[in-house]
Amino acid sequence: MKLFPVEPGTVGPCPVAPDALQGIKRQQTNPARWNGAGWQDFVAALGNAGVELAEGTVACGVYATDAGGTAYGMPHGVVIARSAGQISLLLKAAQSHRVPVTVRGGGLTTEGESVAFGGVLLDMTGMSRVLQIDAAALTVRTEAGIYWHSLAEELRRENLDYLSAPLNLTSSVGGTLGVGGIDVNSARLGCSADQALSLQVVTPTGEIVECSDSENPELFQRVILGYGQFGIITAATLRVRPYTPLAMRYFYYSSLRTAIEDLQMLDANDASDYSGILTIMDCAVNLLVAFDSDEREAVFHANWKSRLRGYGEFGFALCMAGHYALRPWKFREALYLLQRKREVFPEFRRPEYMRDGKMHDRSVVFSRAVWKHWGSRQMVIPDLATSADKFIEAVERGNAVCRKYFAHYTLYCVGIKLRPEHQPHYEMSCIPPDAEGWAYGCEFEPMIEGGVYSRDHFQAFKNAIYDIGVDLGASYYRFGGMMKGYIRRVFGDALVDRHLAMKRRADPAMILNRDVIF
Amino acid sequence: MPAFLARAPAAPRDYAACSGCSLCLLVCPMWRGSHDPRLTPEGLAKGLQSGATVRELAAPIVACSLCGACDPVCPERIDLSGLIMDLRLRSANSLPPNSPQPAVIVELSARLHQAAGAAPAAGVVSRSAPVLLPGPELRADPALLARVQALLGLAVFDDDGADIALALELGVEIPQQRLHGFLDSLRGHTIVAADGLLLRQLRRWLPGSQRMGLGPALSTRAAVRSNLVPSDLYVIEPRAFHGDYERMVGYYDRLQRETGCSLSLDLQRIAIPAASSGLAQKLGLAAGDDVQAKWMLQGRKPARIVVESLADRAAFERVCDLPVVHLAELGEDPQMMQKFRHAFG
Repeated sequence: MKLFPVEPGTVGPCPVAPDALQGIKRQQTNPARWNGAGWQDFVAALGNAGVELAEGTVACGVYATDAGGTAYGMPHGVVIARSAGQISLLLKAAQSHRVPVTVRGGGLTTEGESVAFGGVLLDMTGMSRVLQIDAAALTVRTEAGIYWHSLAEELRRENLDYLSAPLNLTSSVGGTLGVGGIDVNSARLGCSADQALSLQVVTPTGEIVECSDSENPELFQRVILGYGQFGIITAATLRVRPYTPLAMRYFYYSSLRTAIEDLQMLDANDASDYSGILTIMDCAVNLLVAFDSDEREAVFHANWKSRLRGYGEFGFALCMAGHYALRPWKFREALYLLQRKREVFPEFRRPEYMRDGKMHDRSVVFSRAVWKHWGSRQMVIPDLATSADKFIEAVERGNAVCRKYFAHYTLYCVGIKLRPEHQPHYEMSCIPPDAEGWAYGCEFEPMIEGGVYSRDHFQAFKNAIYDIGVDLGASYYRFGGMMKGYIRRVFGDALVDRHLAMKRRADPAMILNRDVIF
Repeated sequence: MPAFLARAPAAPRDYAACSGCSLCLLVCPMWRGSHDPRLTPEGLAKGLQSGATVRELAAPIVACSLCGACDPVCPERIDLSGLIMDLRLRSANSLPPNSPQPAVIVELSARLHQAAGAAPAAGVVSRSAPVLLPGPELRADPALLARVQALLGLAVFDDDGADIALALELGVEIPQQRLHGFLDSLRGHTIVAADGLLLRQLRRWLPGSQRMGLGPALSTRAAVRSNLVPSDLYVIEPRAFHGDYERMVGYYDRLQRETGCSLSLDLQRIAIPAASSGLAQKLGLAAGDDVQAKWMLQGRKPARIVVESLADRAAFERVCDLPVVHLAELGEDPQMMQKFRHAFG
């Protein structure tokens, strides 16, 4: 098979089995590997600059793949981030030697965005210190490689908490700010990237710059939700809040449409502090609603609870028993639901996280459950982010795709409150261009469950989901979301070319995270 | 009920199952000290997946303190501390013959072989009676040991397996004869062990036996429990805790609810090891550090620190001026542990 060289900033032809899966449009998503030209000179330059570079199996093997587990690649060497100055030296050397630099935080991408296909892998988790907590101003300044969980640990010692962060302990702050970050309180507080007040950024040419909405705002706009194209976030100042446990309530539906309508009704009326949908296929649809205070919950009970069309756990069990009693040929599906309930539900009610009926450390509870019951060595989680009015159609169409490709799957849906003053941040990001007030996101996660699927099967599934996004004029959120092959189809050539031109000015050798978008 | 609906505990898996989720890294004292992913259980597993040799992985194998914090958080149920102990053993066995060994290891090997050839210890304690395996640190403090015995009403077992515990720690081969002799002498007894690593292994070696760590044994005593107060920071011995996590996390949660004391747990309800020392520290080749003890105190203002382990007491005495007391020093209770089995199942 002949491989064609691919110029950075262009999308090459798919080199894999071009005649496979006929009728399914495919484009390259795994980039061509950098060929290593000038590596030894680059290593010598780093050595002269005092930047420690690790090579070899032990150093590089940790980074062979990302959370997705479908893209594999090895860097030539690894640098563990220790300071902005060190990163500046690295990027200056990389520019002059034209060596690609792939930045990795928690490595929770699913399309290989944080996998280095040659060149240097920069592991940001080496910069994991909390620099300053200002309890009076409710802000924290932290190095950006820190995991949200580690940040939460330090904030809790001051009885504080972050505002919103992915329900995953091992997402890094910097990586999240670069892609969005969704929490079950995002319908009220916005995405994690909206919580950043200012950033320290090392530009692709090695300048160390502080930026915010008032200081270097153009850089701030491009770096926030910028997929790591315009700089490396080395420190961030974030808004924080007093810590509160939460009262969690669950409502169960057998209809996706009804559950989503109720979710959007709650969000539009600010009826809860947390809201989201988690499903077992489209059979058991769980609308979770939670509150930071008894007062907020009391208002919910008084005004909104009666308008929800979901059942309690017992009522839904009766409803399901009746449903499957009339459809005995679906007994396998019923058994699966029962098994899943037995496995997953106790995780959300572990006594050591519950006090007086309230859940403490929700991110730990959710994240441990996510990894235990949804995680595996391969995670395929295509997603769609749409405006509120397109969301039901997007989820229903995505659900049909899931049904077609996999026996079992989960859907996870949340709202994202948009901040009008952050509109410039949202350009060419996970936030769909036509969303007003709220955007809505849905992840489509098949349960691999030890099954063996081909890469083509996964790719065809993802393409089928992403094609819905193209058709609806949507976007994609979390986990680095956007596949390189889809960015022009989603946003159009004019917008992408404008950003590409900005990228070329900021990063003349196109070294920084070169294969993620352009 | 169909078999697949039953929630039977699944068997541990090996490094090949590592998905790279990094949950082990968050609780790892090696990580907290270095922020270097190579020095983590995940780094080890990924290194092995990539074909690294035991020798290439020497740094994390040596640095690990075997606190076991990584075991209960692994969603893939990989026996990570068991993996590291196994690698230590393989690392020692892969050395060329006649290569120089630290004196501690030479002496320990000789002791193990000597014990393997010796007759089993005479049965001074009747079968089924609870026995105490105090370990060398508690033996070195006779006054405290006497207090522990008085509180628990237990006889000290002559052969407390200190050499076996040290061999597990250092990666020294345990002669089968020695191990079987030790385990045979314990069969039928309820065991209270001060050494968390030994307790963890006894759980595997003697699966039907009744075992518990010194901390839970003492803290079930009314005289001790009633003296725990909300201003105390209670420092859990991490190895015993993580080795029997599902049971212990519930036990300490109840202890916290009843006494109001704060516990040395992180947000994942994992015990932070106060005195974390790797192989080099155990062999006396490097000094320990107090990063963990300092981190445990950051942002906390306890009036007193209560420890289950003497090593933890030493660590806190180095980093703060607060009173640090061993759990056994909280109360004196001459009664025998009449409710021992009922209290702990």
